Amino acid sequence: RRELPDGGARPNAAQFKQLVVSALRELHGEVGAALPVDVLTYEEKTLTAILRVISSGLVKLWSALTLLGFYQNRRCAFRVLQTSPFLLALSGNSRELVL
Amino acid sequence: MVRFKNRYVLCEVLSDDPRCRQGIEDRAVGLAVREAIGRVHGDYGLARCSVSFTVKYLNAYTGTVLLRCRKDSYRLLCSALPFVRCLESRAQRFPCALHILHVGGTIRTCQKFLIQYNRRQLLMLLQNCTNEEERQCIQKSLLSCSLTEEKSQSGDEEDDDGTE
Repeated sequence: RRELPDGGARPNAAQFKQLVVSALRELHGEVGAALPVDVLTYEEKTLTAILRVISSGLVKLWSALTLLGFYQNRRCAFRVLQTSPFLLALSGNSRELVL
Repeated sequence: MVRFKNRYVLCEVLSDDPRCRQGIEDRAVGLAVREAIGRVHGDYGLARCSVSFTVKYLNAYTGTVLLRCRKDSYRLLCSALPFVRCLESRAQRFPCALHILHVGGTIRTCQKFLIQYNRRQLLMLLQNCTNEEERQCIQKSLLSCSLTEEKSQSGDEEDDDGTE
């Protein structure tokens, strides 16, 4: 799950995917841009998304998102909230689970 | 003992343009390869491969290029070499292709391979050439490659301008 704090502009889902792919292309070139990344869910209100990537590409994706600084000439940052191989694990934070 | 290990990639410049061969410079080839790595592997790949990247040897007559890179990043370099499409030198663009012949750990192994490869190329040219004087030219150069190592180093860089 990724969170993207921003100043003004709010990207929609397609622009978000374009942003991710362009970040990969900058850091890892054509090989990185060809990495199959899927945006599973995207909420425009909170600018939060769930991305899916092949496990060998996690390092490339994470490093590319970390080093992405600008969106439409505004500073932005990607914050990775949680990563897990299972989608179900992303639905709740198990540390805050109250039994 | 810990030391930096390098890989030496031997390539050949193939081009349709006959003027391309004479105008090759090592800086032009180095820049073209670096730009191709930057396009294919991005900033990360470019920085990783450029650590110990140089053009060690260039033969303009035969179009042979020897590149050096680190052992950890030679695969990135080899995967980016097919994306080199043109060489720029003296404000002229030549379309070309780089063909990888051999990857070796030392310059000496690459040189040994190059000697054998050139011998085989000369034999192939001998079979393919149609003109009688070209045949004599090639036979003379083949005979001048003697069996001892020192002399064959001077014999392996024959330029094939008779058949180009």
